[in-house]
Amino acid sequence: MSTPFLAINNLSWQVDHHQILTNINCTFPKGKVIGVIGPNGSGKSSLLRCIYRVTKPCAGGVFYQDKNIWKIPAKQYARTMAVVLQEAPHNFSMSVTQVIAMGLTPHKGLFSFDNAEDQVILTEAINRVGLSEHADQPFDSLSGGEKQRALIARAIVQQPQILVMDEPTNHLDIKYQIQILELVRSLGITVIVSIHDLNLASAMCDSLMVLNHGELVYQGTPEEVITSKRLSDVFDICCTVQPHPQTHKPNICYYYGYQHNWQDEYHGSQKQDQELKYEQSHD
Amino acid sequence: MIDAIFSLRFLLLIVLTVIILLSGLFATSFGAANISMLDVFTVLGHQAFSFGEITAIKERIIIELRLPRVILAFFAGAGLALSGSVLQTVTRNPLADPYLFGISSGASFGAVIAITAFSTVGSFALPVGAFIGSTIAVLLVLAMAGNRVNQQIEKMLLSGVAVSFMFSAGTSLILYMGEPQAAASVLFWTLGSFARAQWDSLAMPVFTVLGCLVLFIGFKRQINAVLAGDESAQTLGIPVARLRLFMLILSSLITATIVAHCGGIGFVGLMIPHLVRLSLGSSSIGSLWITALVGGLFLVWVDVVARTLLTNQELPVGVITSVIGSVFFLVILTHRKKGS
Repeated sequence: MSTPFLAINNLSWQVDHHQILTNINCTFPKGKVIGVIGPNGSGKSSLLRCIYRVTKPCAGGVFYQDKNIWKIPAKQYARTMAVVLQEAPHNFSMSVTQVIAMGLTPHKGLFSFDNAEDQVILTEAINRVGLSEHADQPFDSLSGGEKQRALIARAIVQQPQILVMDEPTNHLDIKYQIQILELVRSLGITVIVSIHDLNLASAMCDSLMVLNHGELVYQGTPEEVITSKRLSDVFDICCTVQPHPQTHKPNICYYYGYQHNWQDEYHGSQKQDQELKYEQSHD
Repeated sequence: MIDAIFSLRFLLLIVLTVIILLSGLFATSFGAANISMLDVFTVLGHQAFSFGEITAIKERIIIELRLPRVILAFFAGAGLALSGSVLQTVTRNPLADPYLFGISSGASFGAVIAITAFSTVGSFALPVGAFIGSTIAVLLVLAMAGNRVNQQIEKMLLSGVAVSFMFSAGTSLILYMGEPQAAASVLFWTLGSFARAQWDSLAMPVFTVLGCLVLFIGFKRQINAVLAGDESAQTLGIPVARLRLFMLILSSLITATIVAHCGGIGFVGLMIPHLVRLSLGSSSIGSLWITALVGGLFLVWVDVVARTLLTNQELPVGVITSVIGSVFFLVILTHRKKGS
């Protein structure tokens, strides 16, 4: 059996006797985009924090090329894995280039200055995410989507094998949600990303992990994972799933009306309105 | 564009250095005794190359009194501005100031004990007492802050306030029980002055400030990365909690040394980093050099004002910096309101 690129073995994590993650096992193939989905509070962010070595699990662990990541020095691990966090930092007046240049940190010793090679890496990353016109602007003046792109550029500068992103598409217009995910897909490295929008996850990920109550309940290709039965079990919704006309990946069509009182009232008033209109038009 | 900004900064550095050298000469010529810029030049020329004719009294005033005083003022300003800048960055708190962590109240407490215990305002006992006092205060804050990233900043700031009050209470109590003369000398010391500057006591503040500046420059990337958030910095492989404690120790070392030598000089550590940030439009500490130079320049001139504003009397430096500082902040606040 070959060594898995990145693996999670029997991982559990609890805080104050409150179980957050329970016995999670999975492996991540190299160069694929893996989506992590699940309802609010299912442990998506906690799992990602274990993967990017900020939370130390209580049992089990995350293994990079068969080595427990807590046995790898932080700086060395930062050259392997870059992270784009859920919320962009705010209230600090650095330029876009300065923020992106932070990605050089794990490659640099103390007292080192940026050399010509670093400048090339920086410029390439800035061009890659299409921010060359904004390079000297303050980071705070960017729009939400541009900030995410700048942080992705910072991750590119880190030259990692793995990119972890926690809800990178939150608060973004749908155009930028698609743009961000297509951008990270094009990098060709392993991407582990938590996504709220299930249709987006289905369309953009090679495989999906479904978390519920801190347990890994399903994993596999979008076709295997996204079924109306499974979605109704985990997310407590009703839907039908059909192949997307363009991508042929599963596409979810939700049914509405979960508050029964409200539903009845709504239908009632709608009916009345319709009857009223009908009567009015036939008067 | 990056090169353009870089060279602009470089130009600014050179301009600042020239201004500081000129200011140093200027500042040396100000004071109670009537000494001109030309006198300063001739005395310095005589010292360096032993030419020109000078009077012994002018030489003594310039070399033994004025020059060490100007140098001490410069390094005090540079050190306070540096530690303020670094602390504001690693705690991501624009109000962080070297004095916020109990350093000045610890120093006052130590100074009061030194004065009452040895009953002399000895040139030796007071700075040593002040240094020990501020060290104890900072160690308490460090012990409270702990080595865990979550809540570290909050614990640092709050325990700093608590430790400040604790030591102030002790100081007040001792002064209340003690002699009025001790209270007067402690008050004079607390307000800050460069009058005690001497060549043999210069080495410690100068080397502390320079040494810490070198370390700050070495850790520049790490310090800047903390600005984007603790978790984000951790994902860059930075041990955030340890870095923050280390930076607090360095800043405290600078501040304690300066407080021991010059007394409490407020607002410089708070104000100069803001001034530099506002004028350069960047909160990164890439401008460490500039911050240090501006801080030094500021105190050199404040000391000139302190010596010359009233005839035959020196104003305490701390009073002047506090007046300028508070007005400065009110102006900034009104500008901010208009801006938003």
